[in-house]
This record gives sequence, structure tokens and C-alpha cells, in this order.
Amino acid sequence: MEIPYEVTPRRDTGLYNAKLGVWLFLASEVMLFGGLFSAYVFLRVGIQDGVDNPWPWGLNVHKNFVWLGFINTLVLIFSSVGVVFAWVALKERNWRKFQAWMYIVVACSVVFMCIKGVEYNSKLNKHHGIKLMDNSVMEGKIKDKTDQIRFEATEVSFSLQGGIPILLESIDGDFPELTLQVEEGDEEITIASASEFKDWFFDARRQTARDLVEERKRYRGEIAEGKEAPTPVTVSTSATLVSDNPFKVRGNPRKIVAHTDDTINFRDGTKVTGKLTGDDVVFEVHEVDLQLVLPQNQRDALVWEVIDDEQAKKEFFAEQRKVYEEIKEYYDKRGEVIPEKMLRGHMLNLHYVHLGHSDGHHGDDGYGDKEHDGEHEDDKVHRSESKPSAKDADLHSSKDYGLISVPRDKIKFMGNHGPRYGNYYALYFTMTALHGLHVVGGALVLLYFVVFGKRIYLKNPEHLANRVEVGGLFWHFVDLIWIFLFPLMYLL
Amino acid sequence: MADATHDWAHHKKIYTIIGVLLFICTGLTLALGLWAPLDVGPPGPTPGDYVIGLALAGTKASLVAIIFMHLNHEKGLIYKTLVFTFLFFVALMGLTLFAGSDPILEEYDTLETTNGKLIQSVDQ
Repeated sequence: MEIPYEVTPRRDTGLYNAKLGVWLFLASEVMLFGGLFSAYVFLRVGIQDGVDNPWPWGLNVHKNFVWLGFINTLVLIFSSVGVVFAWVALKERNWRKFQAWMYIVVACSVVFMCIKGVEYNSKLNKHHGIKLMDNSVMEGKIKDKTDQIRFEATEVSFSLQGGIPILLESIDGDFPELTLQVEEGDEEITIASASEFKDWFFDARRQTARDLVEERKRYRGEIAEGKEAPTPVTVSTSATLVSDNPFKVRGNPRKIVAHTDDTINFRDGTKVTGKLTGDDVVFEVHEVDLQLVLPQNQRDALVWEVIDDEQAKKEFFAEQRKVYEEIKEYYDKRGEVIPEKMLRGHMLNLHYVHLGHSDGHHGDDGYGDKEHDGEHEDDKVHRSESKPSAKDADLHSSKDYGLISVPRDKIKFMGNHGPRYGNYYALYFTMTALHGLHVVGGALVLLYFVVFGKRIYLKNPEHLANRVEVGGLFWHFVDLIWIFLFPLMYLL
Repeated sequence: MADATHDWAHHKKIYTIIGVLLFICTGLTLALGLWAPLDVGPPGPTPGDYVIGLALAGTKASLVAIIFMHLNHEKGLIYKTLVFTFLFFVALMGLTLFAGSDPILEEYDTLETTNGKLIQSVDQ
């Protein structure tokens, strides 16, 4: 069947159908991204200084990400130019040139997504933050997964009615040899691997469900028979496994209700008994952020107690003083008073601190401020020795930074720079990921045209040119969205 | 087809110029953030910087839409569609204004006094 108006325009609209279709689609896309930009404005403008999580101003904390964003912008602009050149090549009936430009565009999309991957990896795996109980914040890196509770377990109890116990994913190292605690006279069961555990668990769960059905049936029968005090349903719905040799457990704090020196209670009801080996968080401090601490309380902030390094504290306030002088000079010249917003903002209250034997290198994870580091290298700023707790003595020490041990009861929140870290990060990941999906989708469509388009080209080159124009319109829209995302997410 | 004999060299020249302009504008946007002399108003990101940054982004977006997306010589129906899109978009952004009349405020520690005290704190 011949589809009408694929090549020639309709008389009434003056457009071929696909073009009208793609513009209507782009109109709906404007609404989609418009809603997210609207959320951005709402959340950013609505920040209460000193109360809400501060908006991380791009240059202040992600200097290297700004460059990645900049490169990505250039890559997308170049790809946009590439698409129009590919379209022109079709108009000129030059298949080879068309192919070349289209492959360049697709290559640009791959480069774009790779750079995005570097950024995501850095945010999700290489940078963390800890907010202490008084809202002072440390930026840096949680070392060796010490956000998890370290434990040596000898006994574990769990329900036989739900899913596989969290224990299975919490065992650190090889699966231990576990023995089922059974009643006297029963055969002892030994479980020595994860697969054995799963097999046994599913059987036991099925058996428990059957026993419950039987018991309830018996109970209802007794009531029907008119028995005044029917025997209650007594089916054990939990199991306990023990190990002769203590085995290591690492518990994800988000899945733990509470822990003491000898027990961990997981959210799914699993209870592990044994000995706590460590729950302090070993942290590599890069920056201290006191935006959420009142200026008059900053010198007594909890963060200084945790860091326990007078020189680092001095360094922080010296830097604050330096920035304050610059800001004061600006406002003095104009005969104005420094606004409160400025006094509470990141410029005065977020600075690098150096602990341990730092060589001033902040790594290549996108968060480094090498110029800044260089200054302090020259200043021979005192760096304290790392102070991991005795419990964590086996943890690797950092070559670049001093480590500190943060007691868990002083932590209000900790996490990576993922969407949970604050409104900015939630929006950053939502908008850039949605945009990234558009890049992938657009690139696949363009790749389809160049790989499978020859047949249409030979039949009617104008038909393929129209298709490429429509695909190109989408591609330019993707570029257009990024043009706004770059300054909003990285610079302003 | 007539397209094969059309003067496409002229189009290519325009596309190249626009591409270069977009690169320059991107460079300017970056410089606005990185280079202190271009920082408008007080140090750091302030409303002046937002206006310039978004104006540059708006210019770039317009160039892409007008030249690359051929809106400089498009049919009326597309323009009509875009007018409605624009109106809906403005309404969407305007929704945030309603939030001003329904603020969710939490009680929190207020600063003890005004700037005097704050400056004193920094001065310590």
C-alpha cells in the first residue's frame, strides 16, 4: 500500500505528513522537558538558605565536570551541524558524503554518552558526603564500604514466610558452613553454599506454608466440632542457622533497623547474633561545608570535633576570611552591607581542608580543584596523620588524604552524589538521564537511516531526504535541550 | 529533481557560520562562569549571571531552531502549533509562581541578629 504524502506535501497543510507529525511530537516533548525545567525553577528558587540542602554551584564543587559538560555541548553542536550537512548531501544526491556525515553524527552521540558515563560513575561511585547531626557537612569519599556495618556472626534467624533473607547478600567473603538448629531427634542439616541455602530455603518455605494450612484446617475443625478450647496453631515459621566458625557480615545500613554490639536486626526480620567488629565510617575528607550551620556556631561545629585537626580548622577559617575580605571589598565600594544570603552561601562556607599526608592531588574524579591544591602545597599546610579506628585498622590508608573515623551516632545522613543527595542531584539525574535516552533514541534512528536507507535512496532520494530531515529535527531538539541544561546544571 | 541543481553551497556556508557562532556562544557561556572579569555583580552566581547565561543559551537555541530546524521558512501550520506550545510552556513555568502564595515553611533557627553579628563571627 502506498502511504500518501511521504514525499510531496499535502495541499492544505503545505507539509509532508512526517514533518507535521514530528513537530507535533516535539511540541509534546517541550511539555515533557518544560515540566522538568519548571520543577528546577521551583526547587531552586524555593530554597530556604540555611535550612534546605544548599544548591551545589557547579564551579565550586565540580570544576572538572564543567569541562566535561562543555565538551559535551561542543560535541552535540557539531553533531547538529553534521545532520544538516548529511541532509544537504542527500539533496545533492551524494550518498557517500551522506554516509560519512551520518556516521560522524552517530560517533558524536557515542562520545557524548561515554562522557556522561564518566560523570555518572564519578558522582555515584567516587564522591560521597556525610551530614553530621548539627548539619555540618563533609564532602569526600567513604573508604572501603565502611558505610556498612561490619560484623562477625555466629547465629542467624529469619522468617520462612517471606523472600530470601537479606543475610544472603550481606555475607562478606565465602559462604560459611551453617547448621540448622533442629529439635532433638531430628536429622541435622548442613548448608555450605549460597545455592544450597536457596534450595533448602525454598523447600522449607513450601513446607511451612503446607504445615500452616494443615494446622489451620485442624483448628477450624476443632471449632466446628464445638471444642471449647481448641489447641492453638503452633507452626514454627522461622529458622535458626548456626556456624561454629564466626563468619563476616557486612550490613547495608539502609536495610538495618538497629544494631548493637552483639546483634543486627534487618528490615526483613533477619536477626544476626555475634560480635560487632566495626560501625564507624572511615572517611577521606576533601571539603567541609558549613552552609547549614549558623555563622556564630561554626567554630564549635561537630565537624571539627570529628575531624579533630586544629590546623585544618585554621585553614578553613583562613580561607573563609580571605573570601570574606573580597566580598566585603566589593560591597564596601558600593556602600552596601553584605547580604545575609551571601554570608550564608557556599562562597564563604564551603572550603577544602587538608588532612593526612596530602600531596595536594584531588584525583581525577571530576571534583578536583588542582589550582587550589597547588596553593596549599606551597603553603606547606600541616596535614594530620590518618586516624582510622582500631576496629578498622585493616582498612587501606589513603595516599592522598588523611582518613578520619566518623562515629555512626554523629551521622544524620550519608550517601553518594546520587539522586538521594539533594534536589539538585535528583533533578540532575532525572533530566540528564532523560536527555541521554533521547540521544540514544535519536542516534539509533539516524543509524537506521544510514544502514538501511540505500534502498529508499535508490528508489526516491527525496523520500530519504525527508526522513533524514524529520530525524534531524528531533536531533536538533535534543541539542536544544542540552543548550539549556549545560548552563543550568553546570555553571549557574 | 530540482534539488540536485539547487545552490546548496550557500546553505552549507550558512550552516557552517551558525555552527561556528554556536561554538563561540558556548565558549562565552563557559567564560562567564570561569573568568572572573565576566562575572556580573557580586562574586559568585547572582541574578545578573543567570540573565546573561540564559540569554546566551536562548540565543543559541534560537539559532538552532531558526536555521538548523528551518523555522526561518516554514509553513504556517508549524508556526501555529508552536504558538500554542509556547503558551502552554509559559503556563507551565508560571505554575511555580502559584507556589509563592502557598509557602511551606518550617520552623528553624534564625540568625541571632543582623549582619553586624554575622560579620563579627567571621571576624573572629
